[in-house]
Amino acid sequence: MTRLKLVWRSVTFHARAHLGALFGASVGGAVLIGALVVGDSVRGSLRELAVARLGDVEFAASTGERLFREALGGQLQAGLAAGGLGRPGGVPCAAALVLPGTASRDGGKARANHVQLVGVTQHFWRLAPEPPPFTEVPPDGVVLNAGLARQLGANPGDEILFRVAKPSGLSRDAPLTPLDETTVALRLKVSAVVSERQFGRFGLQASQIAPFNAFISLATLQKRVESPGRANLLLVGELPEATNQAAGVVYPILPPETYRQRLQSALQQRFQLADAQLEWRDLPAIRALELRSPRVFLDESFTATVLGDAGRTNSLAWAIKRSLPSVRPVGVLTYFVNELRHGDRRTPYSMVSAVEAPLVPADLKEDEILINQWLADDLQAKPGDPLTLRYYAVGMTRELEERTATFTIRSVVPMDAPGWDRDLMPDFPGMTEAENCRDWETGLPIDMEAIRDQDEAYWRDHRGTPKALVSLAAGQKLWSNRYGNLTAVRFYTSGLTIRTPRTPAETQAVQRTLAAIRQPLERAMTRVLDPALFGLRLQPVREQALAAGDQSQDFGALFLGFSFFLIAAALLLMAVLFQFAIEQRTAEVGALLAIGFSPRRVRGLLLSEGAAVALAGIVIGLGGGILYARAMVAGLSTIWNQAVGGASLGYHATDRSLLIGAVAAWLVAVGTMGLALRRQAARPARELMAEGDLADLSRPATGRPRRSHATGIALTAGALAVGLLVWGVIGRPGAAAGQFFGAGALLLIAGLAAASRLLTALDAGASSALPGLRELGLRGATRRRRRSLATMALLACGAFLILSIGVFRLDTPDDGNRRDSGTGGFALIGSATQPVLEVPTGPAGIQQYGLDEARFAGVDTVPFRVQDGDEASCLNLNRAQAPRVMGVDPEALAKRGAFRFVTFAKGLPAALGWQALSRERCLAAGLDLAEDEVPAVGDQASIQYALGRKVGDCVPFTDSQGRTFQLRLVGAVANSILQGSLIVDRTEFVERFPDAAGYRWFLIDAPRDTAAKVAEGLSRALVDEGLEITRATDRLAAFNAVQNTYLGTFQILGGLGLGLGSLGLGAVVLRNVLERRGELALLLALGFRRPTLRRLILVEHLALLAGGLGIGAVAALVAVFPTVWTTGLTVPVWPLTVTLLAVLGNGALWTWAATQLSIRGNLLTALRNT
Amino acid sequence: MPVAEPLLQVSQVVKRYPSAGDPDGPPVLAGVDLELAPGDSLAIVGPSGCGKTTLLNLIGTLDSPDAGDIRLEGASLTGLAPAALARVRNRQIGFVFQLHHLLPQCTVLENVLLPTLASDNEVLRDGAPDRARKLLDRVGLKDRQNHRPGQLSGGERQRAAVVRALINEPHLLLADEPTGALDRASAETLAGLLVELNRETGVTLIVVTHSLDLAHRMRQVQELRDGRLRPASDQ
Repeated sequence: MTRLKLVWRSVTFHARAHLGALFGASVGGAVLIGALVVGDSVRGSLRELAVARLGDVEFAASTGERLFREALGGQLQAGLAAGGLGRPGGVPCAAALVLPGTASRDGGKARANHVQLVGVTQHFWRLAPEPPPFTEVPPDGVVLNAGLARQLGANPGDEILFRVAKPSGLSRDAPLTPLDETTVALRLKVSAVVSERQFGRFGLQASQIAPFNAFISLATLQKRVESPGRANLLLVGELPEATNQAAGVVYPILPPETYRQRLQSALQQRFQLADAQLEWRDLPAIRALELRSPRVFLDESFTATVLGDAGRTNSLAWAIKRSLPSVRPVGVLTYFVNELRHGDRRTPYSMVSAVEAPLVPADLKEDEILINQWLADDLQAKPGDPLTLRYYAVGMTRELEERTATFTIRSVVPMDAPGWDRDLMPDFPGMTEAENCRDWETGLPIDMEAIRDQDEAYWRDHRGTPKALVSLAAGQKLWSNRYGNLTAVRFYTSGLTIRTPRTPAETQAVQRTLAAIRQPLERAMTRVLDPALFGLRLQPVREQALAAGDQSQDFGALFLGFSFFLIAAALLLMAVLFQFAIEQRTAEVGALLAIGFSPRRVRGLLLSEGAAVALAGIVIGLGGGILYARAMVAGLSTIWNQAVGGASLGYHATDRSLLIGAVAAWLVAVGTMGLALRRQAARPARELMAEGDLADLSRPATGRPRRSHATGIALTAGALAVGLLVWGVIGRPGAAAGQFFGAGALLLIAGLAAASRLLTALDAGASSALPGLRELGLRGATRRRRRSLATMALLACGAFLILSIGVFRLDTPDDGNRRDSGTGGFALIGSATQPVLEVPTGPAGIQQYGLDEARFAGVDTVPFRVQDGDEASCLNLNRAQAPRVMGVDPEALAKRGAFRFVTFAKGLPAALGWQALSRERCLAAGLDLAEDEVPAVGDQASIQYALGRKVGDCVPFTDSQGRTFQLRLVGAVANSILQGSLIVDRTEFVERFPDAAGYRWFLIDAPRDTAAKVAEGLSRALVDEGLEITRATDRLAAFNAVQNTYLGTFQILGGLGLGLGSLGLGAVVLRNVLERRGELALLLALGFRRPTLRRLILVEHLALLAGGLGIGAVAALVAVFPTVWTTGLTVPVWPLTVTLLAVLGNGALWTWAATQLSIRGNLLTALRNT
Repeated sequence: MPVAEPLLQVSQVVKRYPSAGDPDGPPVLAGVDLELAPGDSLAIVGPSGCGKTTLLNLIGTLDSPDAGDIRLEGASLTGLAPAALARVRNRQIGFVFQLHHLLPQCTVLENVLLPTLASDNEVLRDGAPDRARKLLDRVGLKDRQNHRPGQLSGGERQRAAVVRALINEPHLLLADEPTGALDRASAETLAGLLVELNRETGVTLIVVTHSLDLAHRMRQVQELRDGRLRPASDQ
């Protein structure tokens, strides 16, 4: 005989008795395992989506508005092969041009905004998870993804009209940039619709929602947007060392960062200045080479590298000096000024250049200016005279701020001075090609009346030749802006002297010299310049995508939480049924004690038996868990779809989760059984062997009652509850939820303690008269006081949880008028596909977009600049790696008191509000803010859940020039429409993201009665910008729906748990009655009828049921009261009543069934056993 | 001839059961004295409710006295920890109850071996299967050793219970109404068996019984009356 054999014998012999416990363990195990598998399913689905959207792409560099050479993709592929990183056929690389656009069909009957137009070549499709049935998109065709095709109702053969933004050289925010023709239209025929696996889901942003993708021929797109041979997205495929085994699981041999560095190094080797949109121009007349850009201004980081700046070791400058000693780089900054004035004479609209020697004397002071002869004549100015310049400064947006600067004329220079020519003017869009001044198409307001004939003549003869020169230092002080501080760099080949070639032969020789030094110069520069400065920074997008999925909201934990009550109910049921099974074997336990087993050993034997039952239950639960998870995944994909942001989820299960779930469920089950057994074998063997429950009978009916704390607990908890209620009532409405919820919980405790006291009182009570049947029934509940109390507690807690969870429902106010509400008091939200350059409801915007001024009276807009990134809200299941960042004028929100701050970084006063975005205010308040930290505010939920951070933390970010900086979370607002983004001060924004032109997000303050018309008017007027207007309350409701769906899920699963709890009540009834068959038989023998006995038992147990539910319901009502009171929330009375009645009915049904079962048969035989 | 040290000494043992009106309750045992030598046999008789089973439970360490002392093989059982008492029951005492209390899920042999599971004595445990078979053979259950209790007659079950009580070679065998639930023939057989085992193995035997036939087969018969043991008068 061994212990194991004894356990095995016991389990098999008592198998039927253990069926109940087996059922409980199975259900508990199934729910626990299932919850973890739900987590697996969400993660697995996100991983699948990541693989679908990236295909074989491992690394990507997205340069946005900056365009590099399309050929770089092929060259990088060759470079990787040459660098030993290649594999047979080479690492696939592809360049693409991705531009935002809108799409419409049938004259706008079907429309889609936020469309991603992707210009691709055949190389792109090689990176797709599955190759599509074509190699290239036809030149006049377009391939849609399924989502866009569905939105447009388009099929192959249909014509779609796309409108796409032309990449702009100079930022559209610069006042000089013309506003016309910023977009172009493309009418294309749908040639195919691709599935998700055929790259239909392609995109770099981690989101479970597929973007609207339209793939067109790269050549076609380049041609239409006038950027031939250009691209802005570089994709690098799978590397041979990084094995993509299956389903996106990457097993890198080298760390990804090492790969990235090697790739970046290969990229550096193939990088050309043309990839930074820098163009060489030969200037043989002055024996110089010039670098300029269609972007007009040269990035400061570039010019600093080439020319060096104060206190900076400049390896390039040294390299040039060493290898090309005669070459001298010199900066040029040419600016358009509105007026040159001397006295009362004015010359309108001229170019002025800021230069260094040799074009100007090396000792030219910052307040001195050289003017050409034409200007001297026009203004009748001479050396020593003052000259005033009026010019527009590049501001935050396109708003024009005219400034003046006054210089002293140092000298007048003849018109044929070498080097002082039209080449000094950069390619200002809309000006360079114009034949006449009147043909200028700039974004600046040009007063054509002011242009005189002599000005036209000057333009005709000299074009943009500057009429004046100032020192570079002076010019940069006036005209440096966020786009750059130079318009060209000139490389003089003969030192600081300008010698114009005199003969054709000499010119040819100069040209040869220029050609000869261009190569080494470019090589020297590309060796030093980091491509990342121009956005060419290869990011490990696959790794990031997988991380975003793996670090996503843990639905396993979430569903464990949701299923907590169900698991607890199942385990309690298991424990109760197991205990019952064991209690039927008291004589056996007594015998074991009598023959020398210690109580502990007996409990050990019984627990081993229970563990075996639990193991069997968990094995069954594994199957059940898989079914449960499938059901939950189906629920998340359908009725609870709002909880997962509309994602379509698939079932995924890992062995790890199944194992962890099974082991955890088994341990919890065994632990629960251990608790249930802790009182077993505690009674003497002689009592146990008597086979009757002598313990209860031997308890003295009178005498010293055991001390009970129930009264004290009931009174204390009740008093505290009343105190909290009073505090909640007299306190500020809206802040009382916590007090009321606490009062509810205390009332629950008080109620249960009072019930305990009542049971004790009933037990101790003795009446002189014979008790009535009802009292007799109620007294029955006191026989097993703990069991009765446990039953009530289970039902009360379940009812409380299910009913009171409503307090956490997020309510969306009907009008959202309140400034401190989640809408910030704004009526509408606008989201544009293309940058909107003027605030639509401002004076310039109304004019620009042709809006009806009367209709927009009283409408105010707070515009936001947007740097696209991951949606950092509950609508995105992925953990946002690089969240969307928006820039706003803090004052615009502060003066409205918009939104409600819930927390600030340590040290910042709450009164700071939106001013916390100001670096100066933060520093003044004593916040330790580093130089590279930018204050940012976000929605509390976004910060906590979508980013996994807290206020005070830093979120690392990379700006448009590849420089890393930190977004310091200085404050959080409560449950708002700002979810999804981090907000920074617009001045910080434009500094970090100068390329992100215009506004793309708007909060619109409109009178409620005209909001609909405002929305309609704006949508129509800004149709080319793809402006989408939504009601702020709708947006907030969409966010709230996520949490509310979670709560709904919790309530449904909690309801199931309560159902299981009432099944447990049935088991308790059965057990109670079976234990008392002798007593009932006696009553029968005394002449009671069976229906009377049935009533007796029903009264006893329905009292427990009603008592438990009643205590829970009253406590829950108290808890939800403030939500109803303060927000006017409509209480779902009927669903809750139906839930309670269902639980009551279910409990009553089980009680009745158990009663029927237990008193049927010949009860009188029980008399012989007592 | 040296006087053998008594195996069991019961000195002035008192046991009360509290009642509704009296928390202390009247004494069921009011100063019981008893001494038994090794190999002796004793029958305790008396009317129902006189405290016979209570006394047996006290001797068998299933209950503890309110006063007095019980010594087994010279060692006092008073104040021992539950684990020590369990060891005493397992090693030194064997029990036979009115009901057999065999585990229905185990075979006869397994039931008999059950006490060895609670023992830490490996030597004892190792020899237990052989001993069990011999004892079962001795009580006529050799062919029934692999049967379940449910397949045995009442007398056979009680004999199996006797073997279970003897498996750890106790020095004291306590039998509480061992024939109470048996028919006459089975009762006769069991009574003979107990007497023979007492004689053959030298185990000291105390039987609580209403059966005078069984009582008279013991060397001593004492009557429990008014809470005290007295030599039984012939009835």
